[in-house]
Amino acid sequence: MAPLKYLEQEYPILDSNFRNFCATHGIFSEQQSTSERLKQGITQVLSIIDGQHQPWLNGMELLEDAQLNKHVLSTGCEGIDLLLQGGLRMGQLTELVGASSSGKTQVCLLATSNVAKKHMDGVVYLDTGNSFSPQRVIDFIRQNPDPAIDQAKHRILQKVMNRILCHSVFDIFTMFDVLHQLEVNLRSQMQKGDCQVRLLIVDSISSLVTPILGGGGSQGHALMTSAGFLLKKLAHEHNLVVLVTNHTVGGEGGISKPALGESWKSIPHVRLRLSHDQGSSIYNVSVLKHPSMASGKAARFTIYD
Amino acid sequence: MEKVVASPREWIDRNESAKAMLARVLTARPLLLLPPLHRVPLRVGNVVELVGTSSSAKTQILIQAAVSCVLPKEWNGVYYGGLDRLFCLNFLGSIKKIDQEHMDFDLWNNDTKKNPTYDEELYSLCMRRFLFIRCYDSFQFLATLKTLHYRIQKEQELHGISVHILMIDGIGAFHWIDRASTFMPLGATNRKTPSLQTVSETVVQEIRKLLLLHPMLVIATKATIFGDRYSMTETKRNLGKLDASNSRSISSTSLQLPYREYMPSVWQTFVTHRVLVGASDDPLIRTNDSDRSLYFSEWLLPPQSFVDKFIVKEAGVFMVP
Repeated sequence: MAPLKYLEQEYPILDSNFRNFCATHGIFSEQQSTSERLKQGITQVLSIIDGQHQPWLNGMELLEDAQLNKHVLSTGCEGIDLLLQGGLRMGQLTELVGASSSGKTQVCLLATSNVAKKHMDGVVYLDTGNSFSPQRVIDFIRQNPDPAIDQAKHRILQKVMNRILCHSVFDIFTMFDVLHQLEVNLRSQMQKGDCQVRLLIVDSISSLVTPILGGGGSQGHALMTSAGFLLKKLAHEHNLVVLVTNHTVGGEGGISKPALGESWKSIPHVRLRLSHDQGSSIYNVSVLKHPSMASGKAARFTIYD
Repeated sequence: MEKVVASPREWIDRNESAKAMLARVLTARPLLLLPPLHRVPLRVGNVVELVGTSSSAKTQILIQAAVSCVLPKEWNGVYYGGLDRLFCLNFLGSIKKIDQEHMDFDLWNNDTKKNPTYDEELYSLCMRRFLFIRCYDSFQFLATLKTLHYRIQKEQELHGISVHILMIDGIGAFHWIDRASTFMPLGATNRKTPSLQTVSETVVQEIRKLLLLHPMLVIATKATIFGDRYSMTETKRNLGKLDASNSRSISSTSLQLPYREYMPSVWQTFVTHRVLVGASDDPLIRTNDSDRSLYFSEWLLPPQSFVDKFIVKEAGVFMVP
């Protein structure tokens, strides 16, 4: 926020008399001012400060927003959908935790294909380890053939794939750039009414954050938490489903725990843990954290080749 | 001076009896006894801090308090200032359910004759009393606090009732960002540079000013960010064996705090009550239809010697004996 004298150009009522008054009395004292002009100046400053924060909402407005905008998107995987009572919720940040090759990227690709095909919405995929495979997405799309679209298969496939945007990001600053650009695009997209982006995937966020954590300084943690807040803000304001993946590290007593530490724990809304039985195509998913469900609930699902 | 000299007798005559004073104070400023915080009665002017790791039912307790506050039995309104809201939207779905249960129970206790069923009008009245804002950084939080006085005045005129609770979900949410911020002031050097210390000081100052004008109960939740590492080594040293329990839970040893305090001392001294909540190590309780996690709550300030246990159900928070 600029000091008062820089605001004078925009709001001429905040002239030097007003500033002197403020300097001696403090801005928060409307009762002391007697002149009309000072009162107006104070109201002006208050409205400027009011513009600095998000608008207040009451319970009814929140409920309406939740009912109208924050629907549930199916992931295409029945086990997960059942566990999450319908699927991934818009406006929430969901985290998939699992050791390597526990199915995190598979679930992300499955969700991508499902959203692009069934819901016909756009998907933005931020890939940090070159794990995005268009061929796999096409396999998922082809798995549930729709007899009506068999004729124009190639064209439909092209349309579906056009809804998926994949960016390769290899460090956290590139991710910030991409997310800020996405925010600008989403704001202008709201007027156009085009194919709306509904799903944002970051696979994997831990590989972006882990190199900057540690070392005793707090910059790494600050970047991690601001990345988390930016993702949550995008999710809430533009009604997106945000899905991130995280790997595991060794914890106390040899039990593995999610990476990124304590501070990250409170950032995602929903945390799911994936694991994979060796040699089979059965995956286990359990709830680590959910706003309206007890943790520990589990389910199994299969991803076919 | 003349007035006092002229009627010294009036001066020593009592204004009201103790009984009358208590009656007046208790109706004007009711005590709040909410499970699981019912061990210590809470009044306006108290600042309560709920500490716990993530997923330890802190926000559930806040919602419980909010619901019991907006319902007409209390005749008060609630403000909920969220620091980057963690659970708001999904909890709205369950707020509706909680409201139904609570309202059924409270309508039953109400004097006016009403049907003990879901009352749309009462529901929307209660929901409107619940005010909510989400903040994405410290500046937004400070801006909210600075304009809160006028907002409260407007709402009080609108609803005709006073605000009773101010809730801050996630007081330490911007800790890392503030700690790492090194702002270079352009031009004027007499402005405070925003840092962790100054932000906390301003927050405490603003809330103090607000409490002078609008007496409220302040409840803040705080997620521990250094919790696990500290407590796990403590239990190892004390028990001499590896604690292989669920790493979500933290339990306090008798003398030391189980988590590392990271808020600046200005906030720590501002807090008048402190409760530690967490997931208990005990196995999941089986209720009628599904498994429920067991949580514990322990009063750190004022320190109590017992630990309460509670579970979270659809209808709210319930104590387990």
